Amino acid sequence: MDLLSQLQRQLADFTASLYREGFVDDQFTQLQKLQDESSPEFVVEVVSLFFEDCEKLVNNMAKALEQQVVDFKQVDSHVHQLKGSSSSIGAARIKNVCIAFKTFCEAQNREGCLRCLQQVNHEHAQLKTNLQTLFTLERQIVANGGSIPAMQ
Amino acid sequence: MEIMESGAVDTQQQEEEKHEQQTEEEAEHFHVLAVDDSLIDRKLLERLLKVSSYQGYVFMELINLLSNAFGRERERALMTFVDSGDKALEYLGLLNSIDNVNATSSSSSPPQSPQQEGMKVNLIMTDYCMPGMSGYDLLKRVKGSYWKDVPVVIMSSENVPSRIRMCLEEGAEEFLLKPLQLSDVEKLQPHLLKSLDHSCKRIDNNFNTDSKNITVSNKSNSNNVSKRKALSPELADRRPKMKGLAVV
Repeated sequence: MDLLSQLQRQLADFTASLYREGFVDDQFTQLQKLQDESSPEFVVEVVSLFFEDCEKLVNNMAKALEQQVVDFKQVDSHVHQLKGSSSSIGAARIKNVCIAFKTFCEAQNREGCLRCLQQVNHEHAQLKTNLQTLFTLERQIVANGGSIPAMQ
Repeated sequence: MEIMESGAVDTQQQEEEKHEQQTEEEAEHFHVLAVDDSLIDRKLLERLLKVSSYQGYVFMELINLLSNAFGRERERALMTFVDSGDKALEYLGLLNSIDNVNATSSSSSPPQSPQQEGMKVNLIMTDYCMPGMSGYDLLKRVKGSYWKDVPVVIMSSENVPSRIRMCLEEGAEEFLLKPLQLSDVEKLQPHLLKSLDHSCKRIDNNFNTDSKNITVSNKSNSNNVSKRKALSPELADRRPKMKGLAVV
């Protein structure tokens, strides 16, 4: 198998595993469908925006949860934002953590919220690494004369 | 996105011509005002609108074809994005404190008639849940204003039947669930067609007198090529057909 075929095989397998393990869902596929020659970096751009946004929201949540008297409405509004943006890009695991997170906010459960915050951090880091791997593979394929296979 | 700038001081006639051209340009565009506090959702919507506007919808092909014929290369969809209901109201001239500044307008035009400024909005898309003014509040304001005939589409990440009902009862055209996909934006096509019908008539008139000068250009998207070819001779006949296509 030549290098290009190997890379394409790697990408296909890696992508399949991301879906299988629930890191991304169908909405991520939708994003990829929106990318074309006129906007070749669309997915990378939106994903970068998401990670920036996620970091900012996590910091805000952490600060809010550190307060003597926690404003759970505030925390909830940050979680709501994160839930929305993770849903929009197909970051399924993060979205799911947010769903649990919201329930703890509504219950005004600080411990539960802190646990969820930790989970968000963990999932954020994992997804970042995974997508970086994905984008690197895609770039290598293009550099070797290939084109990124359309998602099924 | 197209940015319209007013240049240096022109003569009265030049100003009038420029204003007319701007209005004409706007008439050939489909202008969407999108309101969402989430940057990611705004980016996604922008891309969705762009992609759907050139993925071979016959109606949009007509606009593009004729734009090319008049020697003007331009995008099909004009989009304005704001991040809050207040900014949307401001844009629509519905905030009392807004200063009406437009170099090409006559000095006596009142702030309540943005249409005189040549500004046209074909569709408003707004998120439901926003800090400050909600999408529902914005909907109510729009429906009680000069812009009441502009279709308003509400977007929400939460599937709450009572909320949906409430928005539709207040006059929302559609209620789309987030995360948005191409298929959701496709639901907006009938509004596109309805709203640009008068522009079509105008373009049709122009077309009929200049039919010899229309050239079909083959561009990027291969999906569109066969449709372009099919369109060329009997555009006037096709228009009623397009209306039929729009009903999904």
